[in-house]
Parts: sequence; structure tokens; C-alpha cells
Amino acid sequence: MDFTIRAASLDDCKDISRMILKLAEHDNVSDQIKITQRDLEQDGFSKNPFFHGIIAEVPEHFKSRDGHTKVGYSLYFYTYSSWKGRAVYMEDLYVMPEFRGKGIGKALMAKVSQLGLAAGCTQLNFTVLDWNKSSLDFYRKQGCWDVTSDLGYHCMRCEGDALEHLGGHLHFTDQSQ
Amino acid sequence: MDKFILRKAEPKDVSDILRLIKELAKFEEMEEQVVLTEKELLEDGFGDHPFYHCVVAEVPKDKQSLEGYTVVGFAMYYFTYDPWIGKLLYLEDFYVMKEFRGYGMGSEILKMLSETAVKTRCSGMHFIVAEWNTTSIEFYKRRGASDLSHEEGWRLYEIDKCNLLKMSSK
Repeated sequence: MDFTIRAASLDDCKDISRMILKLAEHDNVSDQIKITQRDLEQDGFSKNPFFHGIIAEVPEHFKSRDGHTKVGYSLYFYTYSSWKGRAVYMEDLYVMPEFRGKGIGKALMAKVSQLGLAAGCTQLNFTVLDWNKSSLDFYRKQGCWDVTSDLGYHCMRCEGDALEHLGGHLHFTDQSQ
Repeated sequence: MDKFILRKAEPKDVSDILRLIKELAKFEEMEEQVVLTEKELLEDGFGDHPFYHCVVAEVPKDKQSLEGYTVVGFAMYYFTYDPWIGKLLYLEDFYVMKEFRGYGMGSEILKMLSETAVKTRCSGMHFIVAEWNTTSIEFYKRRGASDLSHEEGWRLYEIDKCNLLKMSSK
């Protein structure tokens, strides 16, 4: 199976948006998607992008059943470890089911690693759902380790009302303090 | 202790930032993991494309710490992206020196960060906490934080440089 791995461009946002929805469906959370194709175009391809993308593409004669040649993607961005410095965070990694088992996922991840190393990063981080056994197995084979399990770090989130309250925009007393 | 200011970190602060990073790492029993240098902090935070942003808490000279420091707290953060909800503010480090706690500095730092998050149209603020750090967990939960690892099953994974090199050469 012939495929190419390349940097995503503005024109790819339609396919990225399509595949983001597919990945969210897999994680059973497609109703949580608020980001549109236009948001992706603005946030990923302006002067100060909030993320970078890479695309896996197959030739016309290998296109998917519904006619797509862009069959996988990864979204990543640069972060910072106060212990080790520059790091790269892989936010999404997805290959359409009919194109799995051909090394495309591995190639996408290898590209993110190359780009990260070139930018001076010393680690690649990402999150995986604890029930996603096939992904967990794939990542362990690439040499990853579970920071949550091994060091006890939990991923926390503050959003919506809680965030506004923290910022002092909502004025109600917190009885528990 | 009612007098302290919060301000954006400047290049001259890198020495204090590294000192506070090490203090926080020591508390997490991870001090030997800090390999970052002042030079890297300078390059990475104050160049053309900063990898992080920092706010520092500073007290007047007459209120300096026992060892003579006036920069007594900090928060290091950067912007990340969730393809479902968009921009997020990621809080990497957040620390106030022990002798300056209880005066509201931590709350004020968080307030400033939340204002930044709301102003830049972030959908949320993310961070990690060690599960044994119950004081911090309570502090965050009181402010409405939810534990994604616990509630949704997200586990944080890492690939170190050695394995990155192996992967990139395949």
C-alpha cells in the first residue's frame, strides 16, 4: 500500500474535520464537538497557529470506499516541561478503519517524532482512554509509558462556569472555602 | 503580608523561575528530573516564538524571603488545542514559596490565568496533579476542576527522546 505523509495545509481542513468527527464517534463523544472546519482553518493556519497537522494520503486508485484519498491525520503542538524543556504533544492520531494495519499510524507518529526532535523536543506526550486496549498496545510497542499509572499524575480540567468563576467574572460565594 | 504584585515574567526572572521550578519539583520528589537550564528558559520563553508564558508574584524588598528573594511565586503556562472545543490554557507549573502561603497569592495567580484564558477565548484550563497531592486536589476541586483521568479514563502517556529517535528513524 502506497501512501505519503505530509504537512497539512488549509485545503486539508475539510478532511481533517471529517476525520475528527470519525475519531470522536469512536470515543463515543461526537456530541461534544464544537469546532468547525472554519475554526480549524483560523486556528491552525494563521500567523500564530495553535496546532500543526500532518496528513496521510493514498493515490487515487487506492481511495476509500466513499472516495477519500486523505485517510489519516495527526494534530500536534509544542508544549513545555518545566523539568526538561521543549516537548511535543500529540493531540489526535487517526487512521480510517479500512486503511489500518498498513503502517500508516506508525508513519504518522514517526513524522511527529521527527518534527519534534528537529524542534529540540525531548519528549512526546499524549493521552489515551483506559478502555482503548488496541491503542494502548500499539503505543506500548512504540516504547511509551503510562505517566498516570506509573507516577500517579491525573489530568484535570477547569471549564465553563468554573473557569469564569475563577477569573472573577461570576460573583457567588463558595461555601466550601 | 498584603503587598505583592503579579506581573508578566521578564528575561531577568529566569534565575528565579528555575529556582522555583526546582523547589516545586523537590516537593514532588522529582528534583533530579529537572535538567532545564537558565539559558534554555531564556531562549524558549523570550525569543520570537515562545514555548511558554510565565507570571511571577513579587514582594517588596522589605518583605523578602529568609534567603533574600523577592520573586516568591510563579505560574508557567502555554496554549494547547482540542480539536473538539478549540483553544485551551495549559497550566504547566504553579507554585508559591511555603513562607508566603495563606495570603491569597495562589488564588490571585489562578484568577489572572483564568482571566487570560477567558480573554483569549480558551474553552478551559488543563493541568495535571499527582494523585497523592490531596491538598492541591482539594484546592482545585473547590474551584470547580474535574479529574479527567478518574471521570473519563484519560491516561497521560510519554515517549522519551531515546524512543523518539528510534521511532523517527523507522
